Amino acid sequence: MSRILVREGIRLLAGYDEGAGLTEHRARFGELPDLDRDHLLALARAAALRGRGGAGFPFATKLEAVAGKRRVVLVVNLAEGEPASSKDAVLGLGRPHLVLDGAVLVARALRVREIHLAIGTEAPLVAEAVARAISERPERMRFVIHEADDRFVAGQARAVLELMSGRPNLPVTAWAPEVFDGHRGRPTLLSNAETWAQLAVRALPGSAGLPETTLLTWDGERQPVVIEAREGAAWREVLPPGDEPLVVGGYHGSWVERTTLEALPLLREEMAAAGVPLGAGAAIPLAHGECPVTMTARIIDYLAAQSAGRCGPCRNGLPALARALAGLRDGADEVERLRELAGMVVGRGACAHPDGTVRLVRSLLEVFPDEVDAHRAGRCARISDRAGV
Amino acid sequence: MRRDRPAPRLRVDWPACAGRGLCHELLPEVIGLDEWGYPVVSGEVTPELLADAREAVRSCPTLALRMVR
Repeated sequence: MSRILVREGIRLLAGYDEGAGLTEHRARFGELPDLDRDHLLALARAAALRGRGGAGFPFATKLEAVAGKRRVVLVVNLAEGEPASSKDAVLGLGRPHLVLDGAVLVARALRVREIHLAIGTEAPLVAEAVARAISERPERMRFVIHEADDRFVAGQARAVLELMSGRPNLPVTAWAPEVFDGHRGRPTLLSNAETWAQLAVRALPGSAGLPETTLLTWDGERQPVVIEAREGAAWREVLPPGDEPLVVGGYHGSWVERTTLEALPLLREEMAAAGVPLGAGAAIPLAHGECPVTMTARIIDYLAAQSAGRCGPCRNGLPALARALAGLRDGADEVERLRELAGMVVGRGACAHPDGTVRLVRSLLEVFPDEVDAHRAGRCARISDRAGV
Repeated sequence: MRRDRPAPRLRVDWPACAGRGLCHELLPEVIGLDEWGYPVVSGEVTPELLADAREAVRSCPTLALRMVR
């Protein structure tokens, strides 16, 4: 992993460099209150917190579903399969106690004695930092760390539950949401690391009254930059300077022109309505020397290789999409084929990998019709533009 | 139209599906095949098709087809 730059934050990442130990953590955020079930539910409802793993599902709805149940399983998902996102790594490295506080808060309220954590093996420093934080925790709680594979789909909820059950760390079909039928059939509350941290700051006295934020990763060419931005901020205040178009949401995201994005507020619902879902909060600027078609072809190649290969439409369809896109990149008119394949792959897998892959391909066709036309005609407008020819 | 129960839908367990195509043969009205031989479920299971749909579910060699409501 290349070194991650962390911009000075507002709430979760305020004073990030001051240390990740429990003493520093308590000094900044204060003592974790002991909430009962009703108070926790009220807090979660008032916060209207949406999951930060990518799907944006309301956390309070999940919590309500498990709240009255017996033998609830809690899972903190730190396995960030999305290569363009580094925010969960940043939380694990520098704010492990915030993530743990969120899980402990819920564990106490639901009388759960065990917290599971999934952490990617590609991030050994994160695993170390979290293990160190666990050793500092005073409460009587069992923490179980599961090492997730270094693979795009390994962090998917069902894949994590498979890992916890000792089976291959790959997605399987969910017949019911995991809150009803999760780990070994038990009601399971699995949320992304940032979601747990966001819950914690809403309960901790030290961060009361501070603005609501969201974590973003700017996955530029030099090094990833993790940015904590105020919710509702204008994108132009948040982004590093530049005018390149970018992919928002990560490798499963959507292309957007910089000017279009800058006209949007940093709000999950409004971005989704505008066709630019925030996803896992990663923004990838167009790489130097690439055009949207060549960059998409590169990403789709990677995504095709990351298919677990278990679901037929994904195993066959993603490589076919990658081939068609490589054809377009090299000047063949593959646009109809791309549309046909996109329609054939979407919604037909155990996880959202085919859907996310299709989202990126479709956004390329939609946002860059001129560039796509230039490619199918055998010349690429954007490369010659940008070279100043 | 209001119903007491939602119409049953067919769902494929994609990791289990091996693309043998029996479901398509038994229920072509609802299940087509893609270019790789995997089922494409379209349309709903009307009451007239219910018996064939059940047969398709039972006959799947990898038990990859389910009827859900």
